[in-house]
Amino acid sequence: MSAPLLQVDDLRIHLASASPGSHGRALLEACSFSLLAGERLTLVGESGAGKSLLAQAIMGTLPPALQASGSIAIDGVATHGQRERTQPLWGRTVMMLPQEPGTALNPLMQMHSQVAEAGRYARGLQWQHARQDAAQQLQSLGLGAAARLYLHQISGGMAQRVGVACASAAGARLLIADEPTKGLDPEACAQVAALLMAAQTQGQGLLTITHDLELAAHLGGRIAVLRHGCIVEQGPATEVLQAPRHPYTRELMAARPQHWQPYPFAAAASSAPVLEAHGLTKRYGARTLFENLDLTLHAGEVVAISGPSGCGKTTLGNMLLGLSPADAGSVRRPGPAAPWKYQKLYQDPPAAFSPFRTLGQALDDARHLHYSGSSPRAPQSPESGQAKWMQAFGLSDALLARKPHEVSGGELQRFALLRLMQLQPAFIFADEPTSRLDPITQRDTMRVICDSAAQQGCAVLLVSHDAHLARHSSHRHVQMADLTMQGAATPA
Amino acid sequence: MSTMTHMATPLPAARHSWNWGAPVLIAVLLLGLLSVWLGQNPAHQNLSNTLAAPGPAHWLGTDHLGRDLMARLGEAIRVSLWLALGSAFLAVTLGTLLGLCAAWRRGLTDRLLCLCADGVAAIPGLLWVLLVAALAPGQKWALYSGLVLTAWVEFFRLVRSQALATLAGDGVQAGRLLGFGAPYLLRWYVLPPMVGDLLRLWSYAIANAVLAVAALGFVGVGLRPPTAELGLMMTEALPYYDAAPWLLAAPVVVLVLVVSALQSATRQALKDSV
Repeated sequence: MSAPLLQVDDLRIHLASASPGSHGRALLEACSFSLLAGERLTLVGESGAGKSLLAQAIMGTLPPALQASGSIAIDGVATHGQRERTQPLWGRTVMMLPQEPGTALNPLMQMHSQVAEAGRYARGLQWQHARQDAAQQLQSLGLGAAARLYLHQISGGMAQRVGVACASAAGARLLIADEPTKGLDPEACAQVAALLMAAQTQGQGLLTITHDLELAAHLGGRIAVLRHGCIVEQGPATEVLQAPRHPYTRELMAARPQHWQPYPFAAAASSAPVLEAHGLTKRYGARTLFENLDLTLHAGEVVAISGPSGCGKTTLGNMLLGLSPADAGSVRRPGPAAPWKYQKLYQDPPAAFSPFRTLGQALDDARHLHYSGSSPRAPQSPESGQAKWMQAFGLSDALLARKPHEVSGGELQRFALLRLMQLQPAFIFADEPTSRLDPITQRDTMRVICDSAAQQGCAVLLVSHDAHLARHSSHRHVQMADLTMQGAATPA
Repeated sequence: MSTMTHMATPLPAARHSWNWGAPVLIAVLLLGLLSVWLGQNPAHQNLSNTLAAPGPAHWLGTDHLGRDLMARLGEAIRVSLWLALGSAFLAVTLGTLLGLCAAWRRGLTDRLLCLCADGVAAIPGLLWVLLVAALAPGQKWALYSGLVLTAWVEFFRLVRSQALATLAGDGVQAGRLLGFGAPYLLRWYVLPPMVGDLLRLWSYAIANAVLAVAALGFVGVGLRPPTAELGLMMTEALPYYDAAPWLLAAPVVVLVLVVSALQSATRQALKDSV
């Protein structure tokens, strides 16, 4: 087949000038690339560079506030990003693995029947055949045990993999995978990559969008590097990753967590404990997540926890905050701090903000709630505090007028941290805070988190699947398994 | 392939379909309002000029008692729409408050409220209105209460189910951790996403109430003559459908116009808001 499976020429996306705010701001400029059947193309680049917009344009699902020009052809059909022309191709010809499989999965169906449904309706298999196929897909992703579970019984990383299984069961000619390995541990990443790559032997074209350079290297094929809405470098994966030509690509390569310097924490003085957990146990049905777990966090201390996807890292953090009940054990807050000094930083930054308040309003709301008037606890001047943090986090004042979905993920995560920091928290549970960010933004955000912990003397429980990241930005790095094995994991 | 790929095709903006709902609704309302000052007296009888055909003196003709049909239609529109708007508004308020209460409190409160809603929904809506209206025949307050009693259930169910989902989400969790209270969480997290659905359901409730009032009038349980009311006018015109078909047609056409215009207007409003 000589005609490319996907041909994108001179694609530009900009905000419709009618919308208030930025007038005709270009989000994507002059993107051109093509993808042949059985070929792999990976788009890497900074968060908010327009990678996901590109995928939406190809799927014909751009929001109405955005205008696209240029041309898109899928399997010889000129769709030009129009929904009416693209929708007939969904499922069989083009299929997208969405960024948030948690919201794309049906909460009322067991996992295996959702995967089977994709094979039954998108590929037209017989039910029996589709079910066998689904069981196989789930097995190869290490999800054999989760086949009969429902959405609320599985972790975010598991939902992510079920999404991959659905997309691959549909067997479309072109698969667009938007951050397919977000929040997964290395082993699960390899499984997902293997499943995605298996389909190219049958002529499926794969367009992957990711900020994970390990995945990009693993997938091979070709790589296009996106920055500020432009493709700055394009070529075979080995060439781009080993001998990057563009300075941005070089910076991106250097910013990967394995190249970070360990954060220069001051030697941990014996500070007061802010949170003590004893004998925590959690079960989901017959499955025991952890048993008899002990953990103590001291002021100004950053503790990183790693472990495979679905081992209960998020559940543990939620339990420490009192958000989910423990089956056994207790959590104590020895200090005098108010309840709202114990905070959480979310994996998905937009989830923590109301989409109907601007960022400035959200910050003001939180500050006024606790530091209005002449409260004795008030810092010298809350406003100057905010300005100081804004500067430290590299955020411009212009962003304050925007709504949460109008800034990039990295910026929003820093705003989320800023909102917590102005409350002078005692403890922050950071749940994969940078798993959706590109390496450079990831590095900057982690540095900001460590700075904040060091300056404010607040304890941070960092959950991360990335061992390098966890080791380089924490006082101590523990494996989930170690916590339960040793019983007590207090610093020596 | 390359022949077509090189010109930059502007992708089309969303097609703008003409919305006829709002203008029609406004025209009907104007007819209802203006006839107060400009029209004739809807109760004025002229037994020597009954069942007159439409003409310059009476634009839509006269009924069996010689009353001006145009003026009577105007009065009927005012009566129906006030009843419908009022009862739908009360139903939205009641249903939303109870729905939020159920979702927020959970547990026993939720169970009891759901039980009430199911109980009301178990009996056909019109029957409820009939039952309550029969307590005080011809009284507007009885009609209001009957309509509200049946209409709040769907608002309650919608608000409750959506609020339950939002309250369980990360946004509200973050808000609670930050120390925000119920008013803030409801105002900025729970209510905004459901405004569109509430608006659409509200227009359905208005249309339903207009129909219910007309149906009650038609079977003679609703408002009493000489009040002009769409259902009542149909009943009165029924014996003369042969001699004066316009007499029966006028209230029927107005009813159909009002109900369909309401649907059309809100559908457009929703499309724009998305």
